[in-house]
Amino acid sequence: MKRFLETGNFAITEGAILAGCRFFCGYPITPATELAEAMSMRLPQVGGVYLQGEDECAAMHLCIGAALGGMKVMTATSGPGFILYADPYGWALGCETPMVVLNSGRVGPVSGITGAPGQGEFYLTRYPTQGGNFETVVLAPNSAQESMKMVVESFYLSERLRMPVTVLADQLITDGMEDISVPENEAEMKEMGFRVWPRTHHKGPDFYPFTDALDIPPVQMGYNTGALCSDWTPTVEGFDIEEVEDHHRHAYRLIYKVRNNRNLFNHLYEKRNMDDDPDLVVVSYGTPSRVVNTAVDHARAQGMKVGALRLINLWPFPDELFSRKANYLVVELNWDGQLVREVQRAAAEGSKVNFLGTCGDLPTIPDLKESFEKLLKNQPLTRKGWVMEAW
Amino acid sequence: MEYTSSTLIGKYLRTRKIPSTACSGCGLGINHKVIIQAIAELGIEVADVIWGTSIGCAGRQTFATWKGDGFAGTHGRAYAIARGLRIAIPREKKIILTVGDGDAFGIGLLHLIHSARSNASMTVVVNDNLGYQSTGGQFGFTTPQGAKTDSSPYGMFEHNLMSDGMDVMDILKGAGATFLARHVAMDGPAAVETMKKAIANPGFSLVHMPYPCPTNFGSRHLGTRVPANIYNWIKDHAAPMGQEKPDTIWRTGVYHDARGSRPEFSQHIWDSVTRIRRTGKL
Repeated sequence: MKRFLETGNFAITEGAILAGCRFFCGYPITPATELAEAMSMRLPQVGGVYLQGEDECAAMHLCIGAALGGMKVMTATSGPGFILYADPYGWALGCETPMVVLNSGRVGPVSGITGAPGQGEFYLTRYPTQGGNFETVVLAPNSAQESMKMVVESFYLSERLRMPVTVLADQLITDGMEDISVPENEAEMKEMGFRVWPRTHHKGPDFYPFTDALDIPPVQMGYNTGALCSDWTPTVEGFDIEEVEDHHRHAYRLIYKVRNNRNLFNHLYEKRNMDDDPDLVVVSYGTPSRVVNTAVDHARAQGMKVGALRLINLWPFPDELFSRKANYLVVELNWDGQLVREVQRAAAEGSKVNFLGTCGDLPTIPDLKESFEKLLKNQPLTRKGWVMEAW
Repeated sequence: MEYTSSTLIGKYLRTRKIPSTACSGCGLGINHKVIIQAIAELGIEVADVIWGTSIGCAGRQTFATWKGDGFAGTHGRAYAIARGLRIAIPREKKIILTVGDGDAFGIGLLHLIHSARSNASMTVVVNDNLGYQSTGGQFGFTTPQGAKTDSSPYGMFEHNLMSDGMDVMDILKGAGATFLARHVAMDGPAAVETMKKAIANPGFSLVHMPYPCPTNFGSRHLGTRVPANIYNWIKDHAAPMGQEKPDTIWRTGVYHDARGSRPEFSQHIWDSVTRIRRTGKL
């Protein structure tokens, strides 16, 4: 095990290499640029290729090409680039091409503030492309060390589920410097809970089975198996077709291979002070959860019965974590409220769901504690300087 | 080997997709045969080629026709996919892309230019039916000036990549393509000879092949769906380079042949990676 004081971008790069990634194509964008830079330094050292696309759309298409040729691939960007992935993301979902996509959130809309953390793509990562008829898998780490692990995990899931997997981070995670331990061999990886799944190639000629089965090798070009894949509705063999029944089969696979195999990743969450059915459950993911965890510890020390639920697996949304009727407070790095809508939908009947959003800066511990106190006293939340509509 | 259609189809194509669902009288099949015949004459086998396509008439009608591996990219991005694929597959494999004019010269032009820039080994055959015909017949970026289409009812008057003395080939030449040529569908053996050079080029090749669309372009611009009319119209407006007439739209032949003048993309990348890995520097 080697220890470093380094950025999340460094940790993500090392994680990707440990997972077998040997191709990265990106496009410079704050705050994911340093990840591309780190890849450009490290990949050639391990016999991999770093390329820069002419734009993000091209970058992810280049990743698709390399993945079709049998390589484990990754791309990374921020919100304005993630929206340009819409085109290739759909293709990769439809053609079941494994790859890892990282989005380091900043403040939007559009270019917004480049150097501050944001959480504006909660729903965009669920619906990264048009058309529907698919599920996505999204993991959200809250530290540099965890981002390494989640990138390795994403490669693992992308191979087993045969699909792109998104890691949703934010500017503080990718740019922030922290203590990072990098495993140096398989035993250390195992000890740290890193799972790796090898790439195998599809023997063809069939393109997909219309089942929810795991571990179907992806379609690959260059083995002369007669492999076919396209952006059209496919037949089982991979031919393009305009028949609704074929589309039903394909959509079934794209949805249920994820829904029916959630046990692969639905353990990815963190509960803190949650054993005694707290009066207030604070829900968050990513960087804000670090402040939330501390604030909840402080509140507990002062006798407030507060617990914290941190989501790591964001999509498919873990509804089962909200089956208890409770008073929820959702803390997010956006003003419009995105995660809170899913909590409202998933929370048991009779639950109260409250929202505390910040924009560009993290919530502070005093602010959070003040909110806890108010909610525990059944008082409405107010925001200094802003009139906030009650959720 | 005889180069009859049935022999070529038997060896190289999937019978499920031949004949294609193209309209009656469509000229795309001629272009397709030119490519397949060039492949056969070069002695290339099914396993040696990965066939990519895109959206539109040319993409959809040629997708999954090749007996070997094949993919259809998103609209205009097959060139970016092919570049990534180029890195991952053995150097001796050929990538052939059959795409349309809208795909290559409209939505995909940026990616096309960057594929030429990097000299990635691929043969792009732009099957130009003079506009967006699978959506009903709208003008494209190489549609002849004055052409009446569903979206240019007064005649196409927007400046495009083939107007005012411009030629789309100039852009690609400037970007670094190492083989560029143009033939209309009815150029026959001359087109096959050019196609052989394009496919044999270990770098970026593009062959621009205008072909007749009787259903949309012919019926709207010439007022008739009789295939002979649009075939003759294209033939009358094409001439080999050096033999142009005042009304020539398409100058045919090899436009630019710089085969071997620049390192190929994937070879260059892998050579560089190997050097860095061994020595820590370029």
